[in-house]
Amino acid sequence: MAKQYEIPVGAQHISLLEPLHFKFTTENEKIVDTSANLFYVHRGIEKACCSKFKFRQVSFVVGRVCGLCSVSHSTAYSQVAEKLIKIEVPARAKFLRMLVIELDRIHSHLLCLSHVAENSGFEALFMKTMRHREAFMELLEAVCGNRIQYDFSIVGGVARDLKAKVAHMILGRLREFEPQLSELDDIFRNNWSLGLKNKNAGAIGLADAIRLNVVGPFARAAGFAIDVRNETEDLLPWKAAGFKIVTGTSGDAYARNLVRLGEIGVSMRIIENVVRGLPDSPLLTETKAFPEGEAVVRIEAPRGELFYYAKGNKTQILERLKIKAPTFSNIPAMVEGFKENEYGSVPAIIASYDPCLSCTAR
Amino acid sequence: MRTFFETLKNLFKRPVTIRYPYEKTYIPEDYRGVIAFDENLCIWCRRCEMVCPPGAIVFSQDMEGKQTYHYNRAVCIFCKECVRTCPKEGALVQTNQPAVFALKEENINNGWNKLYEDAVKSREAYASEKKRQQKAASEKKNSEAQQALTKVQ
Amino acid sequence: MKRIDTSVERIKGDIADFYRPDKQHFIVMNAMDLGEKIEVQWFFNEYAEPYETTAFCTQISPGTEIPSISDIIPSAWVAEAELVDLLDLKIGNTAKGFVLEPDFATGPLRKNRQDGKTI
Repeated sequence: MAKQYEIPVGAQHISLLEPLHFKFTTENEKIVDTSANLFYVHRGIEKACCSKFKFRQVSFVVGRVCGLCSVSHSTAYSQVAEKLIKIEVPARAKFLRMLVIELDRIHSHLLCLSHVAENSGFEALFMKTMRHREAFMELLEAVCGNRIQYDFSIVGGVARDLKAKVAHMILGRLREFEPQLSELDDIFRNNWSLGLKNKNAGAIGLADAIRLNVVGPFARAAGFAIDVRNETEDLLPWKAAGFKIVTGTSGDAYARNLVRLGEIGVSMRIIENVVRGLPDSPLLTETKAFPEGEAVVRIEAPRGELFYYAKGNKTQILERLKIKAPTFSNIPAMVEGFKENEYGSVPAIIASYDPCLSCTAR
Repeated sequence: MRTFFETLKNLFKRPVTIRYPYEKTYIPEDYRGVIAFDENLCIWCRRCEMVCPPGAIVFSQDMEGKQTYHYNRAVCIFCKECVRTCPKEGALVQTNQPAVFALKEENINNGWNKLYEDAVKSREAYASEKKRQQKAASEKKNSEAQQALTKVQ
Repeated sequence: MKRIDTSVERIKGDIADFYRPDKQHFIVMNAMDLGEKIEVQWFFNEYAEPYETTAFCTQISPGTEIPSISDIIPSAWVAEAELVDLLDLKIGNTAKGFVLEPDFATGPLRKNRQDGKTI
């Protein structure tokens, strides 16, 4: 029995984008056990939303839970508040919400792919992917007015309209990006040295994925075909806009990269369908009702299933708001996926899990 | 191997970065900027103050009843809720200028907290003073009516 | 959302009868302070049509011990650790300290508190 060492990958580490802490017990550089310590950025958002802010202002607060999936949070909250005050959103607002959610998904997946490439040592690919992402950040700035905090979905509809010039710009940029996406796909799939670092790294089998209730691209890469966009159509019409589910087979970091690249392709098709077929209708539904009762909403953020529960008590301030982030469900599987891996591949594995600790430790 | 040749080709291409501040970056014309206020159109209903999520607008009131508008560009999140709520079109407008940096002399954080409390207190002082004046006027009217009644009798 | 009201004694049996790993998935646990009582909820969702959300709800008085479901559902320990810290509940053998620091005020999401502790 070799000697066991405990090595931390600490809250501050040169390769981490998010503040998380894992303590590994290793034996001859192979990881045997892991313990996790994750809540470094707990800000008390749930308590603030139920004591200080009125229910219409909460959609702006909740958009600041996370910087990468900001529009998913504010759209999910707007949907749950609309269920509490019992109004319907006009059709144009639904399609505009879908447009911004898909643009957000593309930029988030490109960020994750570039981070995986950087941690695997391939810096040129990191720079190349980030350069493609910049084109989408400019698109988001043209649509929403800002690069990161969109404040796009409000209770009752959306805040801004899509101008014809911006729609033209979106279609032009998507056309430019198609050959670049196939080039990126070719490199991630066939490059031999990247494959050495990513194949069989952080693998989760299908049985483990089902047993541990995994969500998002993490589950889809293991062969488990779940996606909230594949389910109900009443809140946002995903399948009508051209959604198709993308799965992998081996469940390791290599399969997760390919699933994310496939999802970027699906998102591009959805955006094109939405921009070409936007219906004409007002943008907001006005009402003076107060929220009462309780409601539940699930939406697909770039990292998995996002869940909101809200309860109102006929005043301007909500009684309870509960947010469940996608990384929150994935924590047990992340801890499980480290077994039997070398200690040196830990940064690449953590980057391929794509954790978002701001959402988890709100 | 193909990536190696691609890297060699990139050695002879122009860099992709924009050399800011010597070249301009992309700014759309409906960028979300600071809020502009037109005093002549305002009807002083204070709905923008009630709706603002971070509390960047506050109205103070002096003893004659005239209200003053205060706005903090460092607290504002440029969400345009105030513009949407304002019942008079044109009183509040969102420009496309980004917020200018604040210097230390402006004391934009702690000075704003004090200004907010003082403004709310000034409104309460005016309201209670007005109530006191109204009560004194109505009591005077009551006593005059009583006097007229006793005189008649 | 389908709401099933149950009690603390029956909750483990109800979940063991209801939960099949390939048919439902466990979303999260939630608790709210209603003043006199605390309501605790367990949310599940189906993997097949009609994709319904089911919520098992029960109301307890503060200080009651709630059984832990992490032997039926292995990934539930995270949700339980969060509620133990944020609402000062007692769930199975879960220790405090996963979410909040040891010298922080206890139970921030509870309503009647005094000097930083729940009463």
